[in-house]
Amino acid sequence: MLLEARGIIMAFGAFRAVDGADLDVAEGEIIGLIGPNGAGKSTFFNCLAGDAQPTAGTIRFRGQDVTRATPEAHARLGMARSFQVPVTFEDMTVAQNVMVGAFLRHGHRAAARRVADEVLAFTGLDQLADTPARSLGTPGRKRLEIARALATEPQLLLLDEALAGLTPAEVRLAIALVRRIKARGITIVIVEHIMEVILSLAERAVVFHQGKVIAAGAPRAVVDDPAVVTAYLGHHMKRVRRGGVG
Amino acid sequence: MILLQVVVSGLLMGAVYALFSSGLTLIWGMMNVVNFAHGDFVMLAMYAAFFAFTLLHLGPAFFIPGAAAVLFVLGVVVYLGLVRHVARGPMLAQILGTFGLALVLRYAAFWAFTANFVSLPDNLVGGTFDIGGLRIEASRLLGGVLALAITLGMHLVLTRTMLGSRILAVAEDRNAAMLMGIRPDRMQALAWGVGAASTGVAGALIAMFFYISPTVGESLSLIAFVVVCLGGFGSVPGALVAGLGIGVIEALSAYLIGAVYQDVVVYALFLLVLWVRPQGLMGTA
Amino acid sequence: MKQWPLVLLGFVAIAAWPLLTDDVFLQRLGALVLLAAISASAWNLIGGYAGQVSIGHSVYFGAGAYASLVLYTQLGWPPIAGAPVGMLVAMALAAVVGTPTFRLRGHYFSMATIAAAELARILVANWKLLGAAVGLMGPPVPRSVVDLSFISPVPYHYLFLAVLVVLLGLTWQMQRSRMGYYLAAIRGGDRAARSLGVPVLRYKLYALLLSAAFTSLAGSLYVVMVGFIDPDSALGILISVKMVIVAALGGSGTLFGPLIGAIILVPLEETTNAVFGGSGTGVTYIVYGAIIVLIARFRPGGVADLWRSITVRMARRAA
Repeated sequence: MLLEARGIIMAFGAFRAVDGADLDVAEGEIIGLIGPNGAGKSTFFNCLAGDAQPTAGTIRFRGQDVTRATPEAHARLGMARSFQVPVTFEDMTVAQNVMVGAFLRHGHRAAARRVADEVLAFTGLDQLADTPARSLGTPGRKRLEIARALATEPQLLLLDEALAGLTPAEVRLAIALVRRIKARGITIVIVEHIMEVILSLAERAVVFHQGKVIAAGAPRAVVDDPAVVTAYLGHHMKRVRRGGVG
Repeated sequence: MILLQVVVSGLLMGAVYALFSSGLTLIWGMMNVVNFAHGDFVMLAMYAAFFAFTLLHLGPAFFIPGAAAVLFVLGVVVYLGLVRHVARGPMLAQILGTFGLALVLRYAAFWAFTANFVSLPDNLVGGTFDIGGLRIEASRLLGGVLALAITLGMHLVLTRTMLGSRILAVAEDRNAAMLMGIRPDRMQALAWGVGAASTGVAGALIAMFFYISPTVGESLSLIAFVVVCLGGFGSVPGALVAGLGIGVIEALSAYLIGAVYQDVVVYALFLLVLWVRPQGLMGTA
Repeated sequence: MKQWPLVLLGFVAIAAWPLLTDDVFLQRLGALVLLAAISASAWNLIGGYAGQVSIGHSVYFGAGAYASLVLYTQLGWPPIAGAPVGMLVAMALAAVVGTPTFRLRGHYFSMATIAAAELARILVANWKLLGAAVGLMGPPVPRSVVDLSFISPVPYHYLFLAVLVVLLGLTWQMQRSRMGYYLAAIRGGDRAARSLGVPVLRYKLYALLLSAAFTSLAGSLYVVMVGFIDPDSALGILISVKMVIVAALGGSGTLFGPLIGAIILVPLEETTNAVFGGSGTGVTYIVYGAIIVLIARFRPGGVADLWRSITVRMARRAA
């Protein structure tokens, strides 16, 4: 297993946002974390990324215990992430943003720039390399975050609603990008509201509800699971199954 | 007995600290912006009270609400003209905006009123009380009690009235408040007005028993920071407890170690708290 | 960089300045501009590049100034010999102040630096060895050339220019290296920077150590020229404020911003002082305050940013 999370609990006082969740991620797969708002999937996600430390439980990445490791240690070990609300470095150009990621494994400017150029071409941002990051719109920022994460040369990429707020056409472009990232041999965990994305991308879906994993398996099967149907509102599911963007 | 005397005068001063710090904590909790000129607002209120008395011959019953009104207007103007704009900008702009304002106010006062200390006459509100051997000046007693009452009043308005809950709603979640039909801009302007008005009352009260100088705001700003950090950001009851505490600590260290070191103790305490518990002693993690 | 010829021209002009005039006021002005540029450039490393707005850099300035004069009054060393000692003391202080405060964000960091600086000022003002409230004096008459005590401001001009060139050269190297990118990332946001493997606390500390060392050197150079310090002139809050204003006016986080800021502000300050005499200090700081309010409100990027948008507009018009 590339990543193993066991019995993760995240408590804020008496309230448990995550209440004993497990997750196994095998090398090379795309896993979708889904669940209604407030189900605890984002909190769980932040525990995986090292941004929050769980109250109890262990997380192992490539055999190493990373439960209490800092976010920067996660990055060094080969785990990269995007944020729900993109946080690009506004004063820098697109290429410079990506270079920050590339500097993790390449100390020299020229080498970092080479890696950045390659990633920019791969993500289709090469035309925008020298524009300031602050002039990008939401789709551009989301793409830039992915590019920056890729420049750290990760084995595991954690995407936090990387497609939320995009138009259907942009969603299709982003899905194509995620597929290409997988083709590079990078494992992906994706948190997503849009069921269409999970159905078309993920090989396995894990459903959160009230801090617990209530179902896991092939996305199609999971969506039809009665427990999942009750967790979501019924009318919401109908819309989802018609392929609407929820 | 002397120690008790020291503690009581510390508490009375602390009540005034609590009052103007409540104003700072309100602004802070509301929009996560610090008013670096807060102490200088107090300084302006002190001069307002001084000139109201010496030039217009107005007594405390007039100059206290007067100073509050003047500072309320100043607070709203500062919010609309400056803070509203810099709050969306980079961190440097947020800090320099009100910090620059502090410099302008401080040195404009220096220029207009000179560096000389002035003060209101001691006997503005009659004499000294003797309560069971404790000697308390009437002006300090009035200042402490009034400050305490107004701070508690502010807390009640915030927690018990419609207007208060609107203000707190904006502090909690600006967007959600907007969806509920609250106009955040108005509420924030109001918070700046009320925050500044609290310095108005506090300044007028301090003026009755403390010397007035253009640079007095610098240490008052730091005291407000200390109180707000100790009490938890955005908490009026926290500011009240912390204000009283700081007043006592200051009075005790002045008495036990020497007046020169009273600020040293307070600042050192501040740094210690920031280092150990950045969320404040009474704030939640 | 297409602007190299312009930069070279600027430095030639600065180097030639004292030779172009016999007026001591103007010669002294040149040296003061360079000194302000050194301390603001030093502040810029942590305050500009890393975006951690310290309003307590007087601590490091004071460390250099006091180290130079304490070693003179206690051991009879020439004041400039205290400079390396001051730099070490400043770096030690930076490690002590920085390590805990760097966990604080934004405003809290600024407030902590103000409180730390005020604490230092009050302690020094009551410390006999450091001259308490009265302050310390340098050598009244130069004992040898090593005391660097000259009547003419011109030698100071070249001494300061040399230090500034070294500092800006280092900064330029830093800006282009991994550290420069990491500091810019930290300014952009701690959380995103850490997710990319940037060891945020370590790089903030590197930047502060470098910044403190050069600020301290500026303090030593100041006493070498002026020959006298007291708690207000070496540790007052206005010392810190001036560094921030000079850098912010020119453009914080840019290589030449602090120098540009110094070229604008120092002559302004010296002129108001000359015109208004004793009450000039007050007027100067009203102007200072107004300038930073205006920068914060209208152009947080400073003059450098203004310049950039003008050149971009001109390029567009030419195209």
